Formats: sequence, C-alpha cells, structure tokens
Amino acid sequence: MAGITIQNLSKSYGGRHVQMAALSELNLNIADNQFITLLGPSGCGKTTTLRCIAGYVTPDTGSIHVDDRLLSSPQGVVSPEARGMGMVFQNYAVWPHKTVHENIAFGLKLRKLSAQQVRDKVEQALVLVNLKGLEARYPNELSGGQQQRVALARSLVVEPDILLLDEPLSNLDAKLREKMRSELKQLQRRTGITFIYVTHDQSEALALSDQIAVMHGGRLQQFGSPFEVYTKPSNRIVADFMGLVNFVPGRVAAIDAGQAIIEGEGGLRLQAAAPTGAAPGAPVDIAVRPENITLAAGGGTPGAGVIRERVFLGNICEYTVALPGGASLRVQTHPLQQFSEGEAVTVTVDASQCSIFPREVAQSDRAAA
Amino acid sequence: MGPATMPDAGATRRPAGLSSARPPSRLARIFSLERIVMGAAIAALFILVVFPLCFLLIGSVWSEGRFTLEYFREALTGRLYLQALLNSLMLGAWTGLFSLLLGLPLAWAVARTNVPGKGLITLTANLSYLSPPFLTAIAFVNLFGPNAGLINAFFRDMVGAPWLGFNIFSMPGLVLVTVLHTFPYVFLLASSALQSVDASYEEAAQILGASKFRTVLSITTPLVMPAILSGVLLAFVNAIALFGSQAIIGLPGRIVTLPTRIYSLFDFPAQYALASALSLLFVVITVAALYIQRAYLAKRSFVTLGGKGARPQLMDLGWAKWPLFGFCVVVFFVSIILPYATLIAVSISKSWGLNFWQGLTLEHYRFVLFDYDVTQRAIVNSLGLAIVAATIAVFLGAIIGWIDIRTQIPGRKFLDYAALVPLGLPGIVMAVALIQFWLTMPIALYGTLTILLLAYVGRYIPLGVRAANTSLRQIDPTLEESARILGASWGHTLKEITLPLMRPGLFAGWLLVFVPVIQELSASILLFSSSSMTLAVAIYNLYETGYTEPVAALAMTNMAIITVVIIIARKIGGGQIGRKENEKPGDGVPQGGTA
Repeated sequence: MAGITIQNLSKSYGGRHVQMAALSELNLNIADNQFITLLGPSGCGKTTTLRCIAGYVTPDTGSIHVDDRLLSSPQGVVSPEARGMGMVFQNYAVWPHKTVHENIAFGLKLRKLSAQQVRDKVEQALVLVNLKGLEARYPNELSGGQQQRVALARSLVVEPDILLLDEPLSNLDAKLREKMRSELKQLQRRTGITFIYVTHDQSEALALSDQIAVMHGGRLQQFGSPFEVYTKPSNRIVADFMGLVNFVPGRVAAIDAGQAIIEGEGGLRLQAAAPTGAAPGAPVDIAVRPENITLAAGGGTPGAGVIRERVFLGNICEYTVALPGGASLRVQTHPLQQFSEGEAVTVTVDASQCSIFPREVAQSDRAAA
Repeated sequence: MGPATMPDAGATRRPAGLSSARPPSRLARIFSLERIVMGAAIAALFILVVFPLCFLLIGSVWSEGRFTLEYFREALTGRLYLQALLNSLMLGAWTGLFSLLLGLPLAWAVARTNVPGKGLITLTANLSYLSPPFLTAIAFVNLFGPNAGLINAFFRDMVGAPWLGFNIFSMPGLVLVTVLHTFPYVFLLASSALQSVDASYEEAAQILGASKFRTVLSITTPLVMPAILSGVLLAFVNAIALFGSQAIIGLPGRIVTLPTRIYSLFDFPAQYALASALSLLFVVITVAALYIQRAYLAKRSFVTLGGKGARPQLMDLGWAKWPLFGFCVVVFFVSIILPYATLIAVSISKSWGLNFWQGLTLEHYRFVLFDYDVTQRAIVNSLGLAIVAATIAVFLGAIIGWIDIRTQIPGRKFLDYAALVPLGLPGIVMAVALIQFWLTMPIALYGTLTILLLAYVGRYIPLGVRAANTSLRQIDPTLEESARILGASWGHTLKEITLPLMRPGLFAGWLLVFVPVIQELSASILLFSSSSMTLAVAIYNLYETGYTEPVAALAMTNMAIITVVIIIARKIGGGQIGRKENEKPGDGVPQGGTA
C-alpha cells in the first residue's frame, strides 16, 4: 500500500520580478491507510501541495516519494497518468459530453479491461455511491451532489492507492455536505485507500481526519490528530484558525521547573507549561477557548468581570465579558445559565486548557511557538 | 471486485495496463506525442508567419549583397508612393468616421431602444460583413459608373439633369463602398458593449439624482467608449487593406492607394525591394492602429464583451422610433438590396442599360459556367482551398491556443503574438512576404495552390487561434487533469476530452475562416497562376476585361456557392451544436451552490 513521504518541498509562482512562495520547505510523512486533511485558508499552499502529489506541478525543491518510488523532484516528475492515483476536484470535473457510465468507465477502458469487466465494475461503483439507475444520464441532468458522486465513483473504480480530494464538498449545500462527509469517511475505512483531503473548513477537517496538517502562508504549522491540533495548538495561527479563541495579553511572572506562572490582564493568574525560551517578565498571549471559561454570578477578585453582550444561540449562550484591564473575553455557557447585560460575574479559566504563546511584536504570520 | 470489497492485497493492486510509475526515459520524453505535435505547430507558425515577415524585412533593406535604405527613402519621398499613403490614410479616416456614424445609431437602436425590426438590423450587419467587398464595388459601378451607370444614365437621359448623378470613381464613392463592408465592426462591438452594461449602473446614477442625459454622458458613454473606438479602429484597418474595391473603384478614378500601388510594382519588371519597403510601411500603419486598439482601449474596456446575464435598460422612443426604423431600412436597402438586386439584374439582362428588362436571359450563366473554361477550375480550387485552409487554421489554432493557455512553456506569449500578427497584415503584404520568402527557397511554390494555401492559413490563423482560445477558456482545466490522473496520455486526453468539448467553438472558428478565404482577393491577386485560379481572381479578371454581364453572373454564382456551403456547414455543425446544447459543454463546471 502507499505511504507518502514529502521532503523539503517548495514551489514559487510568479513572473520575473515577483516570486510568490506558494509552498516553503514542507516535510510531511503520511502513513498508509490514513485520512489526512490539509487544512488552511485560501493561499496557504494546501492545493499546491495536492497538485504536487498528483504530478500536475513540478516542485522547485524537495521530493515526493510514494513508498520507495520517487515521483516528484525538481529534475522531473512522473506524469499524472503514470501515478495510479485518483483525484476528485472541487468543481467535480465530470465530463459534460459523456454519460455517467462513460465517465466512470473511462479509466477502466484505459486499463484494457474487457467489456464485461467494465460493465460489472461500473455497476459496483454506482452501487457504492448510490447512483444506480442513472448510468445513461448526462451530467447536466444530475444535481451537484450526484455529480460529486460520479466524480468519486470515477476515481474509486480504478482502485487507486491514493485518493486526492480538493475541497470536494465546498460546492454542496450544508445538509448534503454533512451527508457526503460521513459517506466519505466510511468509504475511506472500507477501501483502505489513503485519502488526502484539502479543505479550508476546520469542522470538516476535525470530523473526517486521522491527521490534520494545518498550513498557513505556504508553511506547515502543525501536523497531528484533530484532538491535538484543537486542544494543543502549536502556535497562535493554529489556535486562531481552529475555532474560536480568546487571546488575553499577559506576562510571565515566574518560572519554576518548566512550569510558568502567567499573569494576564484583568487579574487572570494561571500556571502552565512555560513557552520555550520565555524568561520571567516576557510578554505572552494566553489563548483560551470560550468553552473553557466558566462564569459565576457575583463579582469578586480575582477574576471579576461585567457582562457586555449576550447572544443566545440555542444550544449555547455566548457572552462578551469585559475585564477590568479593558480586555474582553468571549465565553460560551450552557443555555440555561443566564446572566443579564451589565451584571457582574466571576470568571474562571480552566488553566489546563490554555495555551501560552510569546507575544509577537509584528509579523504575526511568522509565528512559531 | 469493487473498491468496496477491496482487500489489503498489497502491491499487487497496481492497476493493470498503466505504465510503471518511473520517470520516462530522456528519449521518450523528447519524442512524446505531446512534444511532436506542439513542435509541429510552432514550426508551422514560423513557416507561415515569422519567416516570411523576416524575409520581407530583409528584402526591403538588402540589395545586391549589401544593406541599403534606398528603398525606404524612395517609398517615403517618391510622389507616387506618398500620394498612395495619403490616399490610404484618407480612405481609412473617412471610412472610420462613417462606419461610426452608421454603426453606432444602429447599435444603440438594437441594444437600447424599442425600435421595431431589430432582427433586420442584425441581419443587415451580418450580411454586409459576409458580402465580398469587391462584389459590392462591382454592383455600385453598374449603378453609378459615370457613363454606363444605370442611375447616372437615368438622370442624364430621362430626367435631363446630369448634375443629379454621382460619380462612383471618386474618393466619396470609394468610401461609400468600403463603409458598407466596415460599419458592422462598429455595430457589433458597440451593440454588444451596450447590451452588457447592466441597467443597475444607470439606475444607481438616476436614484442619486442624475438626469437621463447626465447618466448617458457620465455613466454609459465612458463604459462603452472603448468598445466603440475599438470598432472604429478595426474598421480603419480593414478598410485600407481591401484590395478589390480600391482597384475596382479607385484605379479608374485615379485614386491610387497602398495596396494598388504595391500591386502595380509587380508589373514587369517587378520591383520586389520597393514593394517590400512599401509593404512594411503599410504594416506599420495597421499594426500601430491595432496596437492602440489592443493595448490602450482593450485595457480600458470596463465591459466584458458578450457578457451574458446583464439586463440593459431599454428606452421607449415613442413616435421617434419610426424615423429610426426608417434609417435602418435605408441602410438595409443600400447595403444589401441595392447591390444584390443590381447584380442579379445585370446578370440576367442581355445588355445592361436603362432598358435592361426588355431582354432577360440566362445566357451569361451558361457562358460563365460552361463555356468559360476558367470557372469550373476556379470553383474547385476555391472550395478546396477554403475547406483545407479553414481546417488547418482551426487545428493549428487549437494547438497554439492550448500551448498558450495550458502550458508553462517559455516563449508561449511570443507564440501567441506571432499568431496574432497577421491581423495587421493586409492580404497584399502577406503575398509580398510569401513571395520574398519562397523565391529564395529551393522549392518552386510560386503560382501553385500550395502558396495560396500558405497565404490563406497564415493570414487567417488569428481567427483560428482566437476561436480556440475562447472555447478553451470555457473548458475548466480540471476536466483534462481528471483524465490524466485516471491514466490517459496527453494525446488520448486531447482526443477524448479537449477536442470534443472544443468542437462547437472550433466549428464556429472554421466558418469564420472559410467565409473570408473563399472570397479572398488581396493576396490571391499576386499569387495566382492560370492553374491555381480562384473564384475571386476569376471575377476580378473578367471584370478587368470588361465583360459586365458575365461578371455579374459569376459573382452571383460565387455568392450562391458561399451560401450553400454555409447552409450545409450549419446543418452538419448545427446538428452537433444541437446535441451539445443537450449536454451543455462546460456545464460540468457547476455554478456553485446546489445544482
């Protein structure tokens, strides 16, 4: 089967004068039979990475190996048709001039299968993606979700070792997206194919992946399980990108045996693992997610605050709490725990769920914890 | 065994029939089909355009083994040549102006008013654009020739007021005949620009308090001005390049222009070097005009031409729509009915004159079709050349367009420019360049069908490239990429995916090349021989010899052939396009959201 090793991969685009680095020195080891997500905002290099793996893009530096085969290096790339991979595109790329059957049979015919084998395999693939009975239709007679299933079936029917998916769900509506999401996950489990999935949707990444590679500005920021990436973000960028987060300015009060006492604005005081290279007095940011803060009625010190704004969202209630120093926190509570605007509350932060990052003077994009 | 039940069978799962995943050998990479096809297309472009132009340049400054500017000096100071230059510029300027005066009101009427008969106006523009300009010229000579012209004779002999007549052999006459062919450039560009200005822009100005007039002045006009000026410049460039009308109308009126002056330089003894120098001056004018049009105006064009989905604001003209409608009818009458009715009348009259209707006959058709031995050869040659040239131009265009849009090959922009250069090459200049190039080659091509084919393909390759570019841009590259990753080679992808999806666009491009090629005169006139005679040349030669009525019969035969081919082609292509409409090419690219 197929594990992928990406070493020191870089790619720049642009003209003679301005070179835009789309991807800088990416190193990634992807184990076999995994659902891997490349996650990041647009322009983060995730699609470039995928297109390098597919063989559409020649890297400037670095290499891509699948198992022990060298597939891409600046000296040359194995062309996409010789890689035995599959790819599903954001816009499906279902050929409009071919029927569903012809679309799915395309790759099988290239592999010189007999007519009977082609028919059987196409049929199985149609069953797999719940499209049976639609083989004679043209793509413009299908809904978006059906077209996406055709694209999936077309890629899966040739039994690739690796399936590349480039934001395959982003053109679908919310309900269908959720349905296809669970189908994709099941497909990966059943087939054992390595899925490499590109998305900018963090909830999609969390729901689907065995491992998430968070990318930003052409660089890999963190590679880990969904739980790790969400609860232990390696830097500000990852913390900020994965869901809601409060950054409370603070400073290191003392360090003892790897544990630091951090004092934050508004009287927050907590103990956490010391950030690397931090000295007492160093300015830091405390990252804390809204669900890891609890509120209690009645002011008091330390941790007094005033409710500024209340938003009822049904399953949760979200408050904006003003701290004495001027900073404010977003806090999510159980919907039945009600406070009114202007009410004084006590704020308690779960220190075990906080991340401490050195304060950036400028260039917050270059952050590395 | 479907993927659902696929076992973890290890490396044996490598699909059969795929080449192994090893980088191909160096040799295989160099001689892949992809490279061979692309290399051939690039080579063809060099042979068709780049080399002839280089030889044109060399031929104008190289004489008896040394460099000389003598010919340019002569072309720029000789009275004969300066006069030709001046006449060409005058013709271009007047034609541009009148194309604007004719084309813009019609465009505005169609795009922005409730004038009746919009279909008639569009038809007029399309037919005027398709009509061979030299046929219009011949028709008008039959009406307004100083002595034998029917209308002049009418005023002179029947009314007794010769001063009411109009001498077609004059600059106004030449401008009139040319404008009838060039006003569609302004019309088409202006009407599509006007149509694609969404009403919301204008409504936004009006809700802020701008009057209708103010809105037109400060919103609509700036938005469409670039397109209108583009149309005027295209009219200018095309007007000065037309050899046929300038020879038929200009020469008897002693109005020599650049194309006719260059043509006369090929009278024995041929002055190749001087003709080359003059050709280059000609090219400088047309390229300068096209450069302004592309670089300056195209960049400032705020309106996407042909943009669909815009909702233009229609103006209710009230009673004023009738005078406007009248104007449209007059244009239709003068540009379509008058010339074709005249040609038909001439072709079936025993002898053209005031009493032509007294002796109607089909004798002239019998003569040109059966007795005049040139005709049949010319028909076969023209049809064959046009079909082959259009096919080559379109496929070459597809490859060059593909290289430009889908690859990162260095120098692809140069290729794109080289393929566009012929837009600025008047036919006669193309002919001079080909002569300069092929006379130095060891292959004797002069006077063969091959050199005509080279001229046609070279001259109309821009249309092929443009048609290919347009349809390629509408095909999402992922449609090709998904075929590649499924194991299809470059050639297989081209055959199975790219070309079928491009077919409607390529087909439109084919017709776009076919129509001008089958009526091409400007380049053919220098390149033909008696064995490679074409229809347009046959008509021109017959006209030169003075056979008024057979010329008209041959001209109508020519038109009949063009019409029949267009109808047949539409039938074939229309069937394909109809089927395509079912499948909506490019609709695999969803509009986003839920389909």
